[in-house]
Amino acid sequence: MSTQSVATKKTKIVSDFPQSNEGKIWTKFKGVYLGPIIALITFLSLWQLIPALLGIKPFILPKPTDVLHAAITDWHLLWPAIQITVIESIIGFLLSATIGIFVSILLASSKVLEISIYPYAIILQTIPVVAVAPIIVIWFGAGFNAIVTISFLIGFFPVISNTLMGLNSVDKNMGELFTLYNASKWKKMWKLRIPSAMPYIMAGLKVSCTLSIVGAIVGEYVAGIGGGKGGLGYAITVAAIQLKTPYLFACGIAAALLGIGFYLLVSLVAHLMLRSWHESAMKVEK
Amino acid sequence: MSTNPNEVVSFQNVSKVYNTGTIALSQFDLTITEGEFISFLGPSGCGKSTALRMVAGLSEATSGHVQVFGKTPKEIIQKTNDIAFVFQDANLLPWRTVLDNVLLPLELRGSTKKSHKEYAIEVLEMVGLKDYLYAYPRELSGGMKMRVSIARALAAKPKMLLMDEPFAALDEITRQTLQVDLLNIWQKEKTTILFVTHNVYEAVFLSSRIAVMSSRPGKLSSIINVNLPFPRKLQVRTDKTFTDYVDIAAHSLENSSIRRELG
Ligand SMILES: Nc1ncnc2c1ncn2[C@@H]1O[C@H](COP(=O)(O)OP(=O)(O)O)[C@@H](O)[C@H]1O
Ligand SMILES: [Mg+2]
Repeated sequence: MSTQSVATKKTKIVSDFPQSNEGKIWTKFKGVYLGPIIALITFLSLWQLIPALLGIKPFILPKPTDVLHAAITDWHLLWPAIQITVIESIIGFLLSATIGIFVSILLASSKVLEISIYPYAIILQTIPVVAVAPIIVIWFGAGFNAIVTISFLIGFFPVISNTLMGLNSVDKNMGELFTLYNASKWKKMWKLRIPSAMPYIMAGLKVSCTLSIVGAIVGEYVAGIGGGKGGLGYAITVAAIQLKTPYLFACGIAAALLGIGFYLLVSLVAHLMLRSWHESAMKVEK
Repeated sequence: MSTNPNEVVSFQNVSKVYNTGTIALSQFDLTITEGEFISFLGPSGCGKSTALRMVAGLSEATSGHVQVFGKTPKEIIQKTNDIAFVFQDANLLPWRTVLDNVLLPLELRGSTKKSHKEYAIEVLEMVGLKDYLYAYPRELSGGMKMRVSIARALAAKPKMLLMDEPFAALDEITRQTLQVDLLNIWQKEKTTILFVTHNVYEAVFLSSRIAVMSSRPGKLSSIINVNLPFPRKLQVRTDKTFTDYVDIAAHSLENSSIRRELG
C-alpha cells in the first residue's frame, strides 16, 4: 500500500513539472541558438543595406544577394574549384598526420634523437612556409604536387609538437608499473605512451586540419595550377584580377565553410576515438 | 647467504642519499620472512616509500645491500613474476576495461593464454568486482579502482605484494572494508605483504609485524610483533589488546620523534 502511494506521488510530481519536452527544447533553443541567429540576421541585413544606402559599387563591396547570385551563376566554376581544394587539403592533411605522428614516435623512442633533432623542428616551425613556397615550386614544379607539399608543411608541425608532448606526458607511476613488468621499449610505446598521447594527438590534428586548407589556398596563390584545373585559391586570384568581387566573396566564404566543415569532421572523429576513456572528451556528468 | 630459508627480503645496512642531498634511509637493517604481513609505519618523509621502492628495484641503495628471494631486486623484476606493486593511486589505464587492466601484467610478460583470462576473472571475483569486468575505470568509485589495482597486482600470481599507502586516499568506511578484504586475500593466497602506512590503527589491524620508522634521517626505530590472532574482524578494534598495541605503536612513533628533537 505505502509503496503504491509513493509511486502515485512521484508521477504526480513529474506531471506537475512545469516544462514539457517541447518547452525544454524551446528553452535550449533560446539559450544557445537564438542569440547567434539574431546576430547573423542583423549582420546580413546591415551588410545588405549599407552598400545600397551609401551607393557602394558591387565590385568594391558586394551585397550578400550579389554574392549569392554570383555563387549560383558561376556554380559550374565554383564547385570544381571547391573539389580541387578539398582534395589538395585532404591529401596535405593526411600526409601531415601520418608523417607527423610517425616522426614523433621515432623521435620519442630515442632520447638521443629527440634531444638532437627536436630543436631544429622548432626552428623549422618558425620559418613562414609562405616564404619558402617558391623553392617548393622550383623543386616540385608548378601545380598539384607543390600545393600538396605546402599544405603538408603547414599542417605538419602542430602534429609533431603535440604528439611529442603527448608521448612525454606519461604518468610517472604508470611508467614504473610498466618497468616493474619488464615491458620492452616498444610495448611501452605501443600500450602506454601512444594511448596516453591520444588526446594531444587529436588536438594537434584539429589544428592541422584547418591549417591544411590555408596551406592549399596559399599553395594555389604561389604555385598556380601548372596546367591542371585551379582550386579556390586560384579562383580567388583570377576573380581579383577580373574585379569579379562578388564571386571572390563567394570563393572566400566557400573556403571558410570548408575549414569549419573539416574542423568539425576531425573533431567528431577525435570525439569518437577518445569517447570511451578520456576526460577531455567527456561531458561532465551530473 | 641467508641463514633463514624462509627469508624473502633482507636489508643489510642500507643507506639511501638522493642526489639532492636528502638522506632518505640510514643504516637500515631488516629481514622479512615468507608469509608475513609487515607494515612500515612512520611519519611522512621518513623513507618508507624509498625502502619499498628498493625492494621493487625502482630505487637503488647508495650503500648496503637489498636482497629479494636471495637475488637482486632487478633480477627478480626482469626474470620473474614474484613481486607486484600497488601504488597509492590506482593507476589504471583509462582506455582499458577493468578486465583488460587486470590482464595487463600478463600481456606485458608476453602470456595471453585463455587460462590467464579465467584466472583474471577469478581474481576480480575475489575482490568483489565480478559485475564490473567490462566497465571502464571512470565508471568506478575510488575504492573500486583500488580493488582493480589490487586484482591487477594479484593477476600474475606474485609471491610478494608491495603496497605503498594504498588506502590513504580513501574514505574511512571504504578503507575499513578494503582492509578486511585484503586480510582475507592475504590468508587465502599466502603471499608476503609489505605495506606502507602512516596510520597507526591500520598498521596494528593489518600486520603481523610493524617496523616503526623515524625521519631525518630515515631509520628503523623499533619492531612490534602484533600477536592478535587471524582472521581479524573489524570488531577487534575495540578489544583491549588491540588498543594496547595501538598505544605501543603510537608511543614508539612519538619516542622516535622525541629522540630526534632532543638530538
Ligand atoms: N626522487 C627523489 N629525489 C630526491 N629526494 C627524494 C626523492 N624521493 C624521496 N625523496 C626524499 O626522501 C625522503 C624520504 O621520502 P619517501 O621515501 O618518499 O618518504 P615517505 O614515503 O616515508 O613519505 C623525503 O625527505 C623525500 O623528500
Ligand atoms: Mg611515501
